Amino acid sequence: MRVARVRAERFGGIVELERPRALLHVDQELMRELGEPESPLWGLPVEGPLSAPTEVHVVLSRRCAAGCKGCYVDATPQGAALSFEEACRILDELAEMGVFHVALGGGEALELDYLFAVAEHARARGITPNLTTSGLGLDQTSARKCAVFGQINVSVDGVGAAYEKARGFDGFRHAERALRFLRAVKPEVGVNCVVSRSSFDHVPDVARLVRKLRLNELELLRFKPVGRGARLDEELTPQQSRELFPMARRLVWRHRIRVKLDCSFAPMVFWHKPSKAAAAFFGVQGCVGGDVLAAVQPEGAFTGCSFTSQAAADARVPGAARAAWADGFHEFRDYVRDAPEPCASCDYLRLCRGGCRAVAGAHGAFAAPDPGCPRVQEHRARRPLPVIAT
Amino acid sequence: MKLFRRGRVLQATFGCNPNSSSLGVDVTFLLFGAVFASAMAVMLGALLRRDTP
Repeated sequence: MRVARVRAERFGGIVELERPRALLHVDQELMRELGEPESPLWGLPVEGPLSAPTEVHVVLSRRCAAGCKGCYVDATPQGAALSFEEACRILDELAEMGVFHVALGGGEALELDYLFAVAEHARARGITPNLTTSGLGLDQTSARKCAVFGQINVSVDGVGAAYEKARGFDGFRHAERALRFLRAVKPEVGVNCVVSRSSFDHVPDVARLVRKLRLNELELLRFKPVGRGARLDEELTPQQSRELFPMARRLVWRHRIRVKLDCSFAPMVFWHKPSKAAAAFFGVQGCVGGDVLAAVQPEGAFTGCSFTSQAAADARVPGAARAAWADGFHEFRDYVRDAPEPCASCDYLRLCRGGCRAVAGAHGAFAAPDPGCPRVQEHRARRPLPVIAT
Repeated sequence: MKLFRRGRVLQATFGCNPNSSSLGVDVTFLLFGAVFASAMAVMLGALLRRDTP
């Protein structure tokens, strides 16, 4: 076990392990046992936001030639992008704040000629850079350069014809080739799969691909009706929402692969009432925008997550992100305190945090419960219909 | 008499999230339940103490 960095927090601190790669939250007593100095944060109430995000999503560009029909950032071949200098300055500030990981994406980040230089810069500042790519245009030379990243996932929303149906173009063989090139370079290679109404039944095929190529994870991402996806009728049906977690469990057992779910799937997990202690220990939780994570948009906006456009600051301005973190993001952080029903009476509220703010926002009310949550759907079905005077 | 209290590991997340749109939460360990989580906390705490100079 090798410790890379330690960061003090109100509850104690966060220990970043290099091997195995992990983030451990430890209490104040263990921080003292590890020889860490007393922190002024330890005098504050334990409840409260982290001193900095552990992870920041840096959406380097809205530039991508693929033109996927459901692209959540509405990427185009001429989309906006952060410059190399802007990206490096932002990484410098995130490093000073104590951020551990960045997830670089877009758009298609591989289309940017400075991507690897940005990743090297992050490494030099002590931040682990990670990457999501479509794999389009990735050859063996660029795959070798990808050794700089921690984890790399290739987007695969279906196998063969199912890929084209989900994304609107025939890119499966490019994605599979990219996965083989990357896997030859490093073991930390996985697949991101957007689970939509029409792709739901094809997810087991993607799991088989993950096992066949000996990839280290399958991350299932919830389709969100934002960007170009707002025009599609692809959100999960109530039945699919209930079946999502059992399906993930089956994939783990059947294929012996690691399955991750994005934070927006939290309501679909907690509806099945898993162990709260285990969920808390392994960090299974709902919206942690503006708390555990933040995002930087290609135009510089510092946001609670990459799906929201409400900017707390312009991250390109020195010191702005740090200042915004200290006293911003209340629309995210206050949800648990102000939660309406049926979240307010839910045993899992503190873990689930009301599901996905971005999806709730896309349905018209950012501070409302996630409309995809089975409990919310049951609650709304029980509510009497309004009486309309005639 | 003051009892000696050992520090605890409160949470553990493994790997890195590459996805720039949301946080990937690992449901694999969730399948093993609370007893497994408690055992993991004790083991990680012990390893951390052993390997920290």
